[in-house]
Amino acid sequence: MGLNDDTTTGAGEVALPGGGVSARPDASGGLMGTGGLFGTGGPTFLTTKVDFVVNWARRNSLWPMPFGTACCAIEMMAAAASNFDISRFGMERMSFSPRQADVLICAGRVPYKLAPVLRRIWDQMPQPKWSISMGACASSGGIFDTYTMVQGIDTIIPVDVYIPGCPPRPEGLIYGLMMIQEKVREEQLADHQVNRAEDPLLVGVPRAGDAEVKGLTGPFGNSTRQNRVSGLVQSDRVDRPEDRLP
Amino acid sequence: MATKTVEFAVGRNPELGEQGGVSYAPLHPVDMPEPDLGSEHMLLNIGPQHPATHGVLRLVCELDGETVLKVIPHIGYLHSGFEKLGEYRTWNQIVPLTDRMDYLAPLIYNCAYVMSVEKLMGIEVTERCKVVRVIMMELDRIFGHLLWLGTTAIDVGAFTPFLYAFQQREKIYTLHEALTGARITTSATRVGGMMADIPEGWAEAVRDFANGLPATLDEVNNLLTTNAIHLGRTQDIGIISAEDAINYGFTGPNLRASGVPYDVRKDRPYYDYETYDFDVPLGEHGDCYDRYLVRMEEMVQSLRILHQALDRLPGGPINVEDPRVSLPSKTDCMNDMESMIHHFKLITEGIQAPVGDSWFSVEASKGELGMYVVSDGGSKPVRWRIRPPSFVNLSVIPKLAEGHLMSDLIMINASLDIVLGEIDR
Amino acid sequence: MSDDSASGSNAFEGVESGPLPSDAAPAARAGGAGSEAHPSIPALIERFGDAVLHHEVTAGDQVSVIVDAGRVREILEWLKTHADQHYEFLSDLTAVDFGGGRPLQVVYQLWSLAHRRNLRVKAELPLSGLQIDSVEPLWKTADWLEREVYDLFGIEFVGHPDLRRILMPENYAEGHPLRKDFPLRGRFSRAEQTRRALSPNVEDFYTPLEMELGREPQTIELPTRGAGAATPAED
Repeated sequence: MGLNDDTTTGAGEVALPGGGVSARPDASGGLMGTGGLFGTGGPTFLTTKVDFVVNWARRNSLWPMPFGTACCAIEMMAAAASNFDISRFGMERMSFSPRQADVLICAGRVPYKLAPVLRRIWDQMPQPKWSISMGACASSGGIFDTYTMVQGIDTIIPVDVYIPGCPPRPEGLIYGLMMIQEKVREEQLADHQVNRAEDPLLVGVPRAGDAEVKGLTGPFGNSTRQNRVSGLVQSDRVDRPEDRLP
Repeated sequence: MATKTVEFAVGRNPELGEQGGVSYAPLHPVDMPEPDLGSEHMLLNIGPQHPATHGVLRLVCELDGETVLKVIPHIGYLHSGFEKLGEYRTWNQIVPLTDRMDYLAPLIYNCAYVMSVEKLMGIEVTERCKVVRVIMMELDRIFGHLLWLGTTAIDVGAFTPFLYAFQQREKIYTLHEALTGARITTSATRVGGMMADIPEGWAEAVRDFANGLPATLDEVNNLLTTNAIHLGRTQDIGIISAEDAINYGFTGPNLRASGVPYDVRKDRPYYDYETYDFDVPLGEHGDCYDRYLVRMEEMVQSLRILHQALDRLPGGPINVEDPRVSLPSKTDCMNDMESMIHHFKLITEGIQAPVGDSWFSVEASKGELGMYVVSDGGSKPVRWRIRPPSFVNLSVIPKLAEGHLMSDLIMINASLDIVLGEIDR
Repeated sequence: MSDDSASGSNAFEGVESGPLPSDAAPAARAGGAGSEAHPSIPALIERFGDAVLHHEVTAGDQVSVIVDAGRVREILEWLKTHADQHYEFLSDLTAVDFGGGRPLQVVYQLWSLAHRRNLRVKAELPLSGLQIDSVEPLWKTADWLEREVYDLFGIEFVGHPDLRRILMPENYAEGHPLRKDFPLRGRFSRAEQTRRALSPNVEDFYTPLEMELGREPQTIELPTRGAGAATPAED
């Protein structure tokens, strides 16, 4: 979790949690004296109350941007329909415009052809924004370790919550959204200057650098056996002799 | 062949409808000379992320005002390499891939794939398996049509049918879950049979569902079939003639809405479909409204098949006794060396299909779904090809939509009942 | 493992003994059974002579006929239009790569609505000459199917009006994915693939045709339901 903190720093760097405090002008002994409503160095009575109210409003009216591509999108629709009804959680309005959305739900597999679209939609969403990677394919490529599939959308955009499953049940999606709500509850406005600022130079740039992509996309499990052990077929590149069964 | 022409509850003028005047609003735009706004055309890009494209379809349109002059569809935004991946998976490992292709009717795809492999291997599945598969396929035909119904209704501005349809779909989800443990990605079939026999009480649950569905269909009928807005949005929109429909490769409800009585279940029967008593609904105009009527009627006919199949569900084993595909029992494995080796070989190598190729097509909810497998005798296919019905159906959209209004393009796209997972594969 | 269960009455071969890698190519197993069972085979042989290379029966009762790739358009046109054949429905068009430098097969699945018959027509193309006539003028279905085969196999369809990639991006540089020499994960590293996917370039998203769309005014005639639709259908 918490990859969203990378929003400011982009590829390969480390975010600075809480760095916003030092960036503010030092107002010690200012308006309300020490330890007052606007005290320095940490959360104060007023900022915590404002945080509480703002976060309460935010987390109960998160508007999802459904980026649904495949099977998971159907479960997302099921979550929106009568039996599961995510409007109970303040997600009444599925916002199909990224400009009016708070949470990007990436539901389904994302091929490389779709990756720039996903990135652009993420860039178009205004801060503060969160993202959910729904399902195995969005989170890791799933069973599709093929030439066309992005091996996890966290190489493209930052991800807050990963929901496992193929596809996850609607309850899983709702639980993921509730985790986002938890995350919103703990946000501090004071940190927004740093954590939520966007670098225009990083628009359209994949989140992960080359080394990280390499680390994230290494084959495992069934994917490592990328050879064909079938009688007649010989393919020059991938069919290694030692892999063929007798 | 028993066919049934879908009847129109109302004609062009709703005042003449059976149920009295539905609406006095003019359904045609008022005839008046078009104002000359110059010939400046606009290039409009819809998608790939758009709620009305039913997936990640991208349409580039040339517009003259609101009229669509040219549509260029772009697909491939969900291309996952199914066919390539299939060449690296053993015959049974491909089954889980199939239900991720058409996630709106996964069981039909599970069945179609194993049927093509069984055809290649010369396996005749048991009677019980045949009937269970028919139940599964008809259940998922309803499953697919219900989703189409809900989403299409949203596209013409009616949200309630979506909620009604999903209520019923949740019941099918529950049935899927009882049968396979998964809601969508069922992977229920294996070469030579099923993953498991149907659980106790499942047949009765299917019967309950089949008894409950007509009420919902009636409700949706009341909401849509004579609704003036729905009529205005669908009648005369996206017309294709029977001849063109064949030439363009239309199949399924889309083809039958144009009046061509081609249904794989009737023309090339599999699993004793010829012994079930059901009609093939036919439209006559080939527009969006007829496609709607045909699908609504198909759900009713599927229910008829469901009832008959449930009545005749025979006992007996669900998997074939064929040493090429069926595992020996656990007891045998523990006591008998030969069985142990057999078990080991089937598990580690997978089943081996003979040299050759086979094509098997079934009537999926979208149209004729063909599976073409080529084997070189090994445990993995040389080629696994899916003839995707939506892919071929979608390729007609330029012909259907050009000349209509922008909003009609959305309706036409919806009426084709596409699923991008299977178009792009 | 498949000792005596499959022996005997099976109409197809290759099951009893289990196939061996040293077996001859499947094309050599052309049997005589198909010609009696399928009426199109003798008619084809009579009409086209040696352009019909051979035929085979697979999976029990499925008849394939392998024809000369140079005359495939002519043969398919005859099959579509001739009254006794009438294969007016092109179910599928695809290709098969067997690997190991063997020729690629282009496979046409035909269906006759009138006679309720299936026929599979294959044409073999050597790797050095991946060109075949387009059947798009015969069946509009072939438009996208041929584009797909071109995209995934690199077979060029001569006479196709708009032959460009359909599933892969227009600027895909790694080759043709369904060829056997193409690795499952693609030729480039994942990092390179990610970088390429996110390099924005307007020309990659719009074809040249789209970029110059629409300065010509045009009108389109729409079909209607006709006169009969003005009154409600009687019950």
